[in-house]
Amino acid sequence: MAQQHGIIVLFDVENALKERTLAGNTYWFDNMKLFGSAGVGTEKLVTIVPGTYFSDGSQATEQVLNWLPAALGAIPPTVPRNYLAEQERADDRRTLDELASLDAEGGVEEADVKRLQRRVGKRARPGTGRGLTEGKLLDVTGRTTGSAAAYNYPAPVITDITGQAVVEKIMYPAQYGSPDMIYDGWYWAATVDTSRPGVYPYTMHVQLHELVEQGGEMVWRSVDLTCESSLKIISDPKRNGFTGAGLGELPLPAVPAAG
Amino acid sequence: MSDRISIVVMVDAVGALSDRTLHNGNLSLVDDGPASRHQGTPDLVTVVSPGQIVQWTPIHVDVQTPVEIQAIEFLPAGAVPAPAGPDAAPGTAAPAAVPAPTVDATDSGGHENYDLLVWEGVVPYGMTPGVPYRYRLSVRLHEGPNAVLHVDSPALLRV
Amino acid sequence: MPPKSRQAERRPARPVTITAVVDPVAALASENLDDNLYLYDTNRIAGSSGFGTPALHSRVRKGDTLLWNVIPLECETFVALADIEIDPRIAEPTRKVYPGTDIVFWTAEVKQDLTEPALYRLSFLLGTVGTPFTPNARPALAGAAGEGKERR
Repeated sequence: MAQQHGIIVLFDVENALKERTLAGNTYWFDNMKLFGSAGVGTEKLVTIVPGTYFSDGSQATEQVLNWLPAALGAIPPTVPRNYLAEQERADDRRTLDELASLDAEGGVEEADVKRLQRRVGKRARPGTGRGLTEGKLLDVTGRTTGSAAAYNYPAPVITDITGQAVVEKIMYPAQYGSPDMIYDGWYWAATVDTSRPGVYPYTMHVQLHELVEQGGEMVWRSVDLTCESSLKIISDPKRNGFTGAGLGELPLPAVPAAG
Repeated sequence: MSDRISIVVMVDAVGALSDRTLHNGNLSLVDDGPASRHQGTPDLVTVVSPGQIVQWTPIHVDVQTPVEIQAIEFLPAGAVPAPAGPDAAPGTAAPAAVPAPTVDATDSGGHENYDLLVWEGVVPYGMTPGVPYRYRLSVRLHEGPNAVLHVDSPALLRV
Repeated sequence: MPPKSRQAERRPARPVTITAVVDPVAALASENLDDNLYLYDTNRIAGSSGFGTPALHSRVRKGDTLLWNVIPLECETFVALADIEIDPRIAEPTRKVYPGTDIVFWTAEVKQDLTEPALYRLSFLLGTVGTPFTPNARPALAGAAGEGKERR
């Protein structure tokens, strides 16, 4: 059975924000190298889509693409998406426990309060970005941080997929909500019309987020950038595995093996 | 009697590649026949009738791994019985299967693509009743020296 | 004019992150991890080289914090960094997990400035195989002094 195509786009977020471009800061992967995808691990990925059709010309295999954006130098996408919220809550519980114990001991040292202040971390308000809730800052090891220079970059967000492959109706991309909202949330996927072989470029619209100081507050600012990849569609007729052509009798031996 | 029986070949590709065997629960064969035995195991015996079409369809447990049927070969008398344990290593104790025409699975991009093959055939009227016809099912998981694994245990049976 | 970004610092507050992208299914089927391992780091501007290969040379300085992590190409397949072997005079990586998960990363501090690239060895656990896989190609840490030798 044809596998679903997983396309991972790894962004060097820090440099992309610095340079305000994804050019040179994007690495593309898919799991179709064995069928002829080219440029896996580089900025110039051509994803092979090996289509098949039946003898009546109808498309035989549904080809499905899934895109997964990831940030280089951030908590990897294998860590569940509710991770940040979980860590915040665990962290708050620890802090509250310590506050309670400080009180119970009767005396409050300034050093203790300072330590707890660091623990509480900094919060950032959502700016013009989409999908980012107000939250504490985590660093890349998953611990809360008070340093605005150490924060973990939020996962890049795909906002649209456009270009020739879409205009010419080669693929039909859309954003889907996963039933498992907590862990996966939203993702982009597409089905492909494999009846017209050729190479079709497409453009991915990506939103990155950076933390900036605005009026004495830390604010998430969204930065919208684009990058490009392409699909290479091929199409071949299905054939019978036993005969190489159409339906025939099963090739049974005159006398079957014992057992 | 239905004129078509469908056998689903479900493979845990990562499990099979890690264990290097289709046993250990890495292969599950299921069909939609009413009288078949050992459903859900590599030892499925599918009860068939002459004239019926039997179709094998590979399915992956993990949607992003390729699972394809590379070959289905019926084992003739005189063949060495199926190894009791995990799959024999390629080349050892391999029973001579019925020489089936080797079907070209090369796609127009020049790559082997077994997704092009449709595994179905008509049960012949000459099939002997009451005798299981075992077949070697070879499954291809990605590419490379460890990619092809097989079992000799499933069978078709005319009652 | 956008507000001033707070990223400019003398020493980056973020670790130099070295990320291994692994195609575990291809590596298991082919027994070839080298062709299915792609290494990247966050120090491209500083002069790291060999991006997308298993022989990444990461440009580092004494005192830098390093962090290694893994992204599997098939998101449902288990891959973990099992070990990092490097001259302990240069760095002593320690294994950690993201708090509250079993997802592994490694960190180390660079103990000295490097005049020669220091080769090291990564090994990975793939799928459910108990024995780690090690690529033949070896990545390296390199200092500014090694710049001339590193050009390809």
